[in-house]
Amino acid sequence: MKEALRKFKNLRFVRVIGFNRVILIAIIFLMYGLFTLLTPLLRNGSTFVNYNRVMSALNYAYFIGFMGLGVTFVIATGGIDFSIGPVMFCSALISGYCLTKFNLPLWLCIFISVGVGAVFGSIGGYFVAFRRLPSFITSLALMQVAKGVGSIFTKTQSVTWPSNDPATSWYRDLVKSSNLPVGFVILAVFAILCSIILYRTTAGRYMLCIGSNREAVRLSGVDTRRWEMLAYVLSGTLAGIAAIFYVGAYTTVQPGLGDTFNNEAIAACVMGGTSMAGGSASILGTVIGAIIVALMQEGILAMGFTISYQYVLTGLIVLCAVTADIMSRKRRN
Amino acid sequence: MGEIILTMEGIDKTFPGVHALDKVSMDVRRGEVHALMGENGAGKSTLMKVLTGIYQKDAGTIVFEGREVRFASPREAQSAGIVIVHQELNMMGHLTVAQNIFIGREPRHGLLIDDASMNEEAAKLFAQLGIEIDPRETMSQLTVGKQQMCEIAKAISHEAKVIVFDEPSAALTDTEIDQLFRIIRDLRDRQYGIVYISHRMDEIKRITDRVTVMRDGQTVGTLVTAECTKDDIIHMMVGRVIFEEPKTQSRVPADAPVVLRVEHLNAGRMVRDVSFTLRKGEILGFSGLMGAGRTETARALFGADAKDSGDIYIDGEKVNIHSPKDAVRAGIGYLSEDRKRYGVVLKKNICENSTLACLQNYVKHGSLIDGEAERKVTQRMVDALKTKTPGVDQLVMNLSGGNQQKVVVAKWLISNSKILIFDEPTRGIDVGAKQEIYELMNRLVQEGKSIIMISSEMPEILRMSDRIIVMCEGKKTAEFDVSTATQEKIMNAATREIAV
Repeated sequence: MKEALRKFKNLRFVRVIGFNRVILIAIIFLMYGLFTLLTPLLRNGSTFVNYNRVMSALNYAYFIGFMGLGVTFVIATGGIDFSIGPVMFCSALISGYCLTKFNLPLWLCIFISVGVGAVFGSIGGYFVAFRRLPSFITSLALMQVAKGVGSIFTKTQSVTWPSNDPATSWYRDLVKSSNLPVGFVILAVFAILCSIILYRTTAGRYMLCIGSNREAVRLSGVDTRRWEMLAYVLSGTLAGIAAIFYVGAYTTVQPGLGDTFNNEAIAACVMGGTSMAGGSASILGTVIGAIIVALMQEGILAMGFTISYQYVLTGLIVLCAVTADIMSRKRRN
Repeated sequence: MGEIILTMEGIDKTFPGVHALDKVSMDVRRGEVHALMGENGAGKSTLMKVLTGIYQKDAGTIVFEGREVRFASPREAQSAGIVIVHQELNMMGHLTVAQNIFIGREPRHGLLIDDASMNEEAAKLFAQLGIEIDPRETMSQLTVGKQQMCEIAKAISHEAKVIVFDEPSAALTDTEIDQLFRIIRDLRDRQYGIVYISHRMDEIKRITDRVTVMRDGQTVGTLVTAECTKDDIIHMMVGRVIFEEPKTQSRVPADAPVVLRVEHLNAGRMVRDVSFTLRKGEILGFSGLMGAGRTETARALFGADAKDSGDIYIDGEKVNIHSPKDAVRAGIGYLSEDRKRYGVVLKKNICENSTLACLQNYVKHGSLIDGEAERKVTQRMVDALKTKTPGVDQLVMNLSGGNQQKVVVAKWLISNSKILIFDEPTRGIDVGAKQEIYELMNRLVQEGKSIIMISSEMPEILRMSDRIIVMCEGKKTAEFDVSTATQEKIMNAATREIAV
């Protein structure tokens, strides 16, 4: 048994994508099978196997995935970002308000959405990297700010993005076009870009090294502040992009919400194999993690439970994933 | 001096790779102040830790008040009557003086702490010691000197019979030292047995009755202070036989260009008006005792800590160094004494560590890392420095101390540093690998690099340096050419008392 496991771990494809990721993919299939089995039992006459359910799960996976990609950079540097959910909502509210009330062109509004995210990321990054505030406190504070700013901007009204006029609703094609999952392709492209940044550029190298030993990097003559701040800017920017995919799927955003998505994005990240201690991160793991989070929510709803169960499960997943991370690090030492 | 209260006989203690205490013996009498002296690493602190139950001895006996004892923890030693006043004070700054003294054994009224009687007790202690401190004062509001008085009061409240002072005067002003000495004399007259660890020679003469000198984990001997001179003590401290022949003269030609000139460098309390020059191809040794300010000088020079004032010239030109980035650009590399914390990124591989200081030179297409070039240069360094590793993908955490040091050296060679600061280059490195590091350093200076070497090991200083600077309490106290330097001269300069 042990021998077989060792052999399996040494297979080329397992080594390339990582043992943890292989397990996660297996978990996706297990979950799918489980939901398929349980849904008809729990709710008479309904089935889980259904094209709409897959698309609906993917809709959820996109925006969680984009946020997860961003927060992966932050966690790689040894920090954390609890502001991304509300920042995403704030982006969607401000840009949506500009689109519907000020009638700005859609491309400009998409730009505004990404820009709002980048501004929040820059503010957080500045305080963490240059003023040495704990990322935990900084991002909690910014979470409140983002909620408030979104509400104030829209006068506490919810914003519904247009969905019929072809001139102002082509953003929906980014998510799904003639029943094809376009969003998945875009998420994959961004995941590849993020992988290149994290593993192949000097910026990514510095971020990972900062996460392992900031002082050693600084004493090697690297301006650690700049690179650490960049991680937060990327996190905010990707939350701004996530906003487009959120409205692309659901069109309506309410002010004062969004914090539950933080935990789901962070859960996607840590179960994907990114270490909360910093220094090691997996982009592929984050994307798979986002799909698991989305599938879990779809399954919970299909089986007739309320969304509250999703909160409980995400919380438990974070606890388990971080415990597993700490245990595996202890064993290695 | 009264009868013997404490005897340590044949104490032995081994840590992996180090024989820290080798049949050490010492006794303490009632009503005496007994100095314990020795260089860094001579074993003074280890001996005191064995005595107070922080470490367990491998062999030997401790007899206290006529009975053999074995303390499993500092708490047991404390309740038996042996207390240590540490150099770094273990006080909780936000609590009051009385709360600190009685922590863990507060007088109580049922479930509540009886503040009134606690403050009263503390006041009584201070009255006994003849010092004026308000027991209700918050600890962090007191000066370091007064905080130490509180530690002493705490020791007495434990009904101590033997009190160990670990470099108590290091952070005190002259008047505070006078007061401390008055208290110590008073305690002596009240028949306490006192062990006094210090590097300050004049204090030893002023306050102690006997002095025991340790060297390399062994007791060299015990003298009556009044009957010996400072030179006697220094001779005992350093009088080892050095197997390695010290360098007899500098290899650096007198006309070698000056690559680095530091003028009037000041940084905090630990670096005060330090000036020196470094010539091409030279190894400049920085000697001194722990806390002399050598590492602080190096860090200020390297831009790792802010400096208050001072000018730095490289190749005759003034450079502004405000961060390690500036220093690296100016061609300086720093190899920290604490490699794991400040030198290497343990969780990354040799390649990633080696190019960390000049990653910008290993990119293509904008900012994509050129992995192949990076591996090539790392492999070249691994070969040149004879780093023992299965490959450049090996994580640095899996390497031995000596090989980790080589990775740090590789980092600075790849980034083309001309000046290398080795801070305790062989700390935590086993004997065989030490030799290799020495050879490497000699090769580097032959190739035209210049080295500043901070070392607390006297043989290392005498063997490697062309010129030696001695520091004491943040100041440069002496400079020798290696041909004129001796252990005695260096130790004399390292323990020189400086008027504050």
